[in-house]
Amino acid sequence: MYPRKKSPDILLFTAIIMLLGLGVIMVYSASQVTAFERLDDTFYYLKKQMVWALLGLTAMVSVMKIDYWRYKKLAVPFLVIAFLLLITVLLPGIGTSVKGAQRWLAVGPMRIQPSEVIKLSLVVFMAYGLSRYRDRLRSFVTGLLPFLLILAVACILILLQPDLGTAVSVAGTVYIMLFAAGARGKHLLYLAFAGIAAVALAIILEPYRMSRFMAFLDPWADPRGTGFHIIQSLYALGSGGLFGLGLGQSHQKFFYLPEQHTDFIFAVLGEELGFFGGSLVILLFLVFIWRGFKIALSTGDPFASLLAVGITSMIALQAIINIGVVTGSLPVTGIPLPFISFGGSSLVFTLTGIGVLLNISRYTSYR
Amino acid sequence: MSATNIIIRKRITRLFLVVGTILILLIGRLAWIQFVRGEELREKALANRMDDIPVPATRGTIYDRNGRELVVSISSDSICAFPPVVKSGDAEKTARELARILDLEYDDVYKRITKNTNFEYVQRKVDIEKSKEIRDLNLTGIDIIEESQRSYSKGKFASHILGFVGMDNAGLDGIELKLNKELAGIPGRIITEKDARGREIPQALHEHEEPVPGNNIYLTLDETIQYFAERELDNVMAQYQPKGATVIVMEPRTGAVLAMANRPDYEPAEYGTTPAENRRNMAIQFNYEPGSTFKVIPAASALEEGVVKPESRFYDKGYAVVGDRKIKCWRFPRTHGSQSFEEVVMNSCNPGFVEIGLDLGEERFYQYIRAFGFGRKTGIDLPGEATGILIPEKDIKPINIATISIGQSISVTPIQLITAVSALANDGLLMKPRLVNKITDSSGKVVRTEEPEPVRQVVSKSTARQLAGILEKVVNSGTGRNAYLEGFRVAGKTGTAQKAGPGGYVEGRYVASFAGFAPADDPQVAILVVIDEPQGGIYYGGQIAAPVFKNLAKDILRYLNVTPELSEEEIKNRSDQAEVLVPDVVNMSLEDAQDILREAGLKARIEGEGSWVVEQQPKGGIRFPAGSQVLIYLGDKGGTVPNGQEVTMPDLTGLTMREAGQLLGRLGLQINAVGTGLVSEQKTAPGTKLKSGSTVTVVFTPQVPEPSP
Repeated sequence: MYPRKKSPDILLFTAIIMLLGLGVIMVYSASQVTAFERLDDTFYYLKKQMVWALLGLTAMVSVMKIDYWRYKKLAVPFLVIAFLLLITVLLPGIGTSVKGAQRWLAVGPMRIQPSEVIKLSLVVFMAYGLSRYRDRLRSFVTGLLPFLLILAVACILILLQPDLGTAVSVAGTVYIMLFAAGARGKHLLYLAFAGIAAVALAIILEPYRMSRFMAFLDPWADPRGTGFHIIQSLYALGSGGLFGLGLGQSHQKFFYLPEQHTDFIFAVLGEELGFFGGSLVILLFLVFIWRGFKIALSTGDPFASLLAVGITSMIALQAIINIGVVTGSLPVTGIPLPFISFGGSSLVFTLTGIGVLLNISRYTSYR
Repeated sequence: MSATNIIIRKRITRLFLVVGTILILLIGRLAWIQFVRGEELREKALANRMDDIPVPATRGTIYDRNGRELVVSISSDSICAFPPVVKSGDAEKTARELARILDLEYDDVYKRITKNTNFEYVQRKVDIEKSKEIRDLNLTGIDIIEESQRSYSKGKFASHILGFVGMDNAGLDGIELKLNKELAGIPGRIITEKDARGREIPQALHEHEEPVPGNNIYLTLDETIQYFAERELDNVMAQYQPKGATVIVMEPRTGAVLAMANRPDYEPAEYGTTPAENRRNMAIQFNYEPGSTFKVIPAASALEEGVVKPESRFYDKGYAVVGDRKIKCWRFPRTHGSQSFEEVVMNSCNPGFVEIGLDLGEERFYQYIRAFGFGRKTGIDLPGEATGILIPEKDIKPINIATISIGQSISVTPIQLITAVSALANDGLLMKPRLVNKITDSSGKVVRTEEPEPVRQVVSKSTARQLAGILEKVVNSGTGRNAYLEGFRVAGKTGTAQKAGPGGYVEGRYVASFAGFAPADDPQVAILVVIDEPQGGIYYGGQIAAPVFKNLAKDILRYLNVTPELSEEEIKNRSDQAEVLVPDVVNMSLEDAQDILREAGLKARIEGEGSWVVEQQPKGGIRFPAGSQVLIYLGDKGGTVPNGQEVTMPDLTGLTMREAGQLLGRLGLQINAVGTGLVSEQKTAPGTKLKSGSTVTVVFTPQVPEPSP
């Protein structure tokens, strides 16, 4: 029924390992000042990130061995669990609140983000549903609407945390999957308008989002307030030049840059490794996307194809949003840079997704 | 492969192109930031990380002409905060402590020290005890920097000239403002690269710029003469409660302002709470109709132009008619009758001056008015000088010429008038009024010397001398008699101007003034006294301004060591009233001397031993209040005491250097003089026995009288 197993896509694997390696190094460099300041241990975040990376790699390698079609049966249960988690995190007293957002669930010593779970589960579910009912997709009500409703519920739950960035990247991923699955252009166009309207509404209704958006338009209007993040990020990148100040030599990481080792790690990377390092990261993502879509194209199974597209675009969207924010091309929103940013559960789930992708690659028939 | 799969494949390919393009665009964006805008952002980033701590420069000192300090800067502590560091500690506790010690509102302090900046002043220029207490607390993010603070220890003294500085040490008025650039110096900076919490980062960049201290200013003012002026004005205020009063003392030869004082006055240290009116420098900002003091201008002009001679005859019938207007003499309805030009000036006769002005004619008269510097700023080194008001030539009518001749229909400033009068004292050469003698840098090296600046020869030397002679007569036997100063030849002119209000001149509001110089034959000082709206019914310049002039001239000339010379007339005329002529009793026996002094109405105070008077103080020939003591110093007959003989050290307090030297010389003592001015201290106590021929050290200090309350 399925072709014989091959070895996984080596280019994809290499690109991921390189990004991961670069990430661990940058997490160390970017976090050491904060780590020393807060915890008296410059290696604190490095150690944690290495543990998470090993955990993630283990997950990736393990998942790589699980045949992807098994997820067809698991798609619905996964989604149900993910939704339950999303609801749980919102319950007072259970979810952990950081900087005003209730995004984490404490599981023993670990903290996991239900939004990471929903991302992956939704991709699996969509791949399953869309491939199974794709003959109905030309119809809006019977084809698209059920999927859109599920997406809408997920997005609303995520927005309640509140986490607009993740909601946008989830919606974007599903949108891409709908597009890939063959939804009608007209429908997609309307959906795009609806999505933009929804995001606009979310920005207008929330004053802090509005001020971030205004700061995006003109960061120098309030350089010490709302424009602070963008400006400090641009200062860091601008200071980098071609080859950067050298690894560990960032000056901006001395508390000027917010979230140096998480959301704004790309700015530290750009300051220390320059345009060379920055464009290398972007090119590695390009390689990853190329291989991801190649895998999607090379499998004969629509489910696998959509699953590959979903995982690839999910990671690609996050990378684009993150780098877009750091370079001042998008309004500030808290999305980590996949593989590079410090962040435990996110890294594990991302690498799990890569494991799925690599597994699919073992069943491709390159022509 | 199904049709749907083909769609999926097509769409995935398109997706890849779109996402790939976006990533390429992001690389482009990165290049734009890092290359095109790189330089700009790098610099801004660095500036953003640089913590700039100002190091204030010490402000220069202001001295008088003899190097006596008038305004100095003392260093004081300012409390500053580095908010990022404060926030890393217990900001609330810090704010509480600061609020307690500095007596401030907690909320204000808290807001300030947690402000979103790198550097904030909490309070500047705080008491040393407070700053010490704060220093001892060692609060996180709170630092104390040394700033220089202006010390106006002389209070109101010369406040209008010196001016004051604001909180940031920038001059806001007077010399402090006018010469702010000289005084300010250049602040230094300590620049360090800091992290966002205000702490130095590893491999931080450092820069240290030392401040350049401000330059020192040596004014033309003489502290002692200024004290005389301040004292006289205090008396004027107490006696006549005028709205204002001003005194300017100028050195005619150089245009140097030796003193300039005004009332009302103010404390420079409390400039913020004093009304602007008190801060007004009347001497340069008061536009007023000078009245008769201005008559020296048409008089000098007419003499210069040959329109009149001293002996030219005038007839005063009590008034003059110009056009349809009748200008009365101040003596009206009595008249001055037939009089010479000299007498016209002595009597300050209005109709006489009207005639002179009209004879001079509009064109020539205006030419001189302008040549004497009216209608234009004198350019003195002070801010806010007024211009005075001249009727424009095109609008002038004969009636205006007539009234300007008697000092009406023209507004002048005191500084303009004293400058013009000084020109007359200076043989007709108008000098630019000066306040600054020289400027040195902080190490004392002279940066700039301001030389006397002749403006123009307004009238010839002979005209000026001739007029000086006439003005001397004004004081000797004319309207200026109250300025008469025995032993000195004083030239001057009184003035009493009724003030104009809406709808004409106002009854009961006058400006009394006196302008003059002394000694008339070799003028050392020119003095102008202006009293604005004196109360109590006495308002004639000759009555209230002339005595002020006299007191000033007396003290100043004595201080300047100008030798009094009694004219023969004076010697003849003394006797009357309270003052008596001191007889010369030197070289008389003690008995004779005591008798003669008793006869003259004076008491004798004996110093030293012997039976022969070797010196007396005051000397013979001087007028002295009846009943005062005359010091007589005894020695042996033959005058000077021979070397080696025992003599008694006399009390020299208050004597001039010459007087002290003469007295000691008589006793055969050598003087070792320290300083200048009057004797303030003698190293050998009075009454000490010492050998004639020995040397005594005497300390002189410029006379600084206590300002009257």
